[in-house]
Amino acid sequence: MTATVEAARPVTRRSLDLPVQVALAAATVALVFFPLVPILVQAFSTRPLYDPVRAFTLSNFTRVLSSGAFWSVVGTTVAFAALTTVLAVTLGTVLAILVERTDLPARGLLNSLVILPFYVSPLVLAFAWAVIYGPQGYLTIRARQLIGHDPWNLYSIPGLAVVSMVYYVPYTYLYCTAALSLSDPQVEDAARIAGAGPLRAIRAVTLPLLRPAITYSALLTFVSALELLSIPLVLGTPAGIRVLASYLYILGIAGGRIDYGAIAAISVLTVAIVTALVWVQERLVSEERRFVTTGGRASRIRPMELGSLRWLAFVFVMAYFTFAVLLPLIGIVAQSATAFLSPLINPLQVLTWENYRLILETEAYRRSIVNSLIIATLGGAIGILFMAFISLMSYRSEFPGRRALTYLALYPRAIPGIIVGIGFLWAFLLIPGLGAVRNTIWALMAAFIMRYIPLGFGAVSPAILRISPELDRAARVAGADWLGTTRRILLPLVRPALLSGYILLVITFLKEYSSALFLFARGSEVIGTTMIELWRQGNSGPVAALASIQIVLTLIVLAASSALLRRR
Amino acid sequence: MGDLVIEGLVKHYGPVLAVDNVSLTVPAGKLVSLLGPSGCGKTTTLNCIAGLERPDAGVIRVAGTILTDASRRIFLPPERRRLGMVFQSYALWPHMTVFDNLAFGLRLQKVPRDEIHRRITEVLELVGLGGMERRYPYQLSGGQQQRVALARAVVSQPAVLLLDEPLSNLDAKVREQARFWLREFQQRLGITTVYVTHDQAEALAISDLVAVMSAGKVLQYGPPREIYERPATRFVADFIGATSFLDGTVSDRVDGLLRVRVGGEIELCVTHALARQPGEPVVLAVRAERIALAMDGDTVNIVPGIKRSQVYLGSRYQSLVETPAGTLRVETAMELPDGKVRLKLPPEALVVLPPEEGS
Repeated sequence: MTATVEAARPVTRRSLDLPVQVALAAATVALVFFPLVPILVQAFSTRPLYDPVRAFTLSNFTRVLSSGAFWSVVGTTVAFAALTTVLAVTLGTVLAILVERTDLPARGLLNSLVILPFYVSPLVLAFAWAVIYGPQGYLTIRARQLIGHDPWNLYSIPGLAVVSMVYYVPYTYLYCTAALSLSDPQVEDAARIAGAGPLRAIRAVTLPLLRPAITYSALLTFVSALELLSIPLVLGTPAGIRVLASYLYILGIAGGRIDYGAIAAISVLTVAIVTALVWVQERLVSEERRFVTTGGRASRIRPMELGSLRWLAFVFVMAYFTFAVLLPLIGIVAQSATAFLSPLINPLQVLTWENYRLILETEAYRRSIVNSLIIATLGGAIGILFMAFISLMSYRSEFPGRRALTYLALYPRAIPGIIVGIGFLWAFLLIPGLGAVRNTIWALMAAFIMRYIPLGFGAVSPAILRISPELDRAARVAGADWLGTTRRILLPLVRPALLSGYILLVITFLKEYSSALFLFARGSEVIGTTMIELWRQGNSGPVAALASIQIVLTLIVLAASSALLRRR
Repeated sequence: MGDLVIEGLVKHYGPVLAVDNVSLTVPAGKLVSLLGPSGCGKTTTLNCIAGLERPDAGVIRVAGTILTDASRRIFLPPERRRLGMVFQSYALWPHMTVFDNLAFGLRLQKVPRDEIHRRITEVLELVGLGGMERRYPYQLSGGQQQRVALARAVVSQPAVLLLDEPLSNLDAKVREQARFWLREFQQRLGITTVYVTHDQAEALAISDLVAVMSAGKVLQYGPPREIYERPATRFVADFIGATSFLDGTVSDRVDGLLRVRVGGEIELCVTHALARQPGEPVVLAVRAERIALAMDGDTVNIVPGIKRSQVYLGSRYQSLVETPAGTLRVETAMELPDGKVRLKLPPEALVVLPPEEGS
């Protein structure tokens, strides 16, 4: 090769970088503000949004803040969320230390079992617990036969908190195991060598090291529990227990005359409080720590020996899984396949396909399954690509507004699902020309994607941050623009993360219901909304059938994904 | 083909001044090293040339084409500069074969298929990796990866080649071979090259010209020999080679000889007398290997001292000798005797520097 060096020639080809980046940023801004603006406007308006004659007012806030019902709901919500947090964080931390750091038998299996509720919709979990532990639940009746009275009351704040605990344990568990796998186990060895016993070493070294992870998961759990609808709705409503989310639901849907101003004011107050909590959460953890990655560490660490406690700990973990997760899920499947589930009757004598027949033969019910599948698979794909591009712009571009974009992408965490639904509904009603979209699954898809931008962003970003920036710089120097670099270098390299992020979105979209409740219409039902409709009509059999279908669909996705991921 | 010219380059990171008014001309076909400790601004300067950083002020041009002109708000993005660059980590794209790595830029330039094949075969032959086209980066050794990175940088026939510490990830042994090889390669192509390194031996071995940088400034720019033998500042003298410094005062000036009084009674003669006046305070710099054990007959520039410690470097010994003028680092082929020693500091080995000029 001879050195035929020419001067850099001017390139006429126009790069699409900036137009694409601006479009993506605009889409993000639009999605996030779309539901917020109508709520804000409504909160300060005298008349409903659709009324053209309205004036500015603070009366919505004064009315809400001076209502006794509101404050009692707030009290219940805080008590419920706090109790849930204490239970879930304690159990999650204990399980994390046991599974990650000790010589517990079958740790791999226990790990998957502990995470399992993460994939189950809390709505399904609520129905499932009611089947086993509700006032007419299988084990409740059994216990009543044995001791003569009900040993527990599921329809109470502690009852709600225990069920919610099962749903939230995986959060703490995942953050703590990630923190444990990152920290050097030699610090524990050092404590042992200095003369501490195993429990002392855990208390003196392991737990303090876990404190950031514990604090972070506690806030995360608390914030999620504050906005949780399903478990309080299903298990609290019969006993008259109302939390913020179920209160909003009743005000907006199940009640009589709809007080738009009150709904908006409560929404604004809730979003403001959650925003503050999320902000505190962020302050506690630096940028990088937010994305804790799970799995795979380089060298296997010598686990702490529990000695004779080993099997006791194993039984404890297995008992938790059996009674909290396995039995309720078996129960709901059993209920779906029987006419009447009770310890008084042999279930094999009342086997029936009637519940499934009803679901599959009723057009609206069948449609909700199809809709859920379309939204999960198609919306998940659109969503993960969109979220990956936001992350690429945030971390791998010179886009001027990339810092602001990062914050914006993470902001939907501060908007409870039910409020996302309210906001989208009002926005669709308000903005002319969007009426055609409003009653379609595209409206739900947009709301789901908006709500879970932070989830997909968080799933893809660690993989993007892990790629050496020199790889994209090399592509730029070689003559590729930002889009070319993204398409040819970055996206192919993060493909595994895209795939697992996609699976996460599919499962999340399959179980999503809260943002759909206000938004769905005839024709755009999803599994979650249909379950709540059926539950309101008192049809526990078809609810169980639909819940079982959702569980099976989720299991299929999980099995397919683990087969896919293993092949790589 | 023309020179790479940098004029008045300035780059801030917040309050930190990373590059402080750097001006350099890299003559066409020459290899220029930017040498300095980490944080001196050498990589930032390189990235400004590549267009990976946007300077706050300054002009960068190659052969009359302006790449960057901050005052006129001209900034060509990196993909339009037609440069070749080798990164410290090589930055080979792990999901592409060697061939695809090399073809990436050529395809973007819409080079015809046959031509792409021809050029890649040629350049891989040139770096001694003929037949490796189908390999993936992870199937190559570190040295091979480094050569693929180099091949990728030059295959599109860039106007300028930029190298960011390309040898720092290689084993010591391979690194020394790579030095020769890289120099030969650059000379064969005759490509204008900017080479960033913190390794002074590497910079001296490989370059036509060396720019020593510190705190964002170029302290000295010249051929390696000049940098080594006539350092312009204390920092340069200290950074390159093992150097001792002696504080002193000019006592006399005769016939181009400068006499400097250091540490009380001792007076040293210096041949390279800059315009120094008697009474002026100066610092004398002396390379460890230029200091020798004095013979019996030697009378000029003798410094007595006591050996404090010694390390064996493989082929030579390095000792610390305490003298009335200060502690001296001495490198000798033979072991210095223990206890008292007489050292000779040849007049031509002493470099006169201004006293304490900051760094």
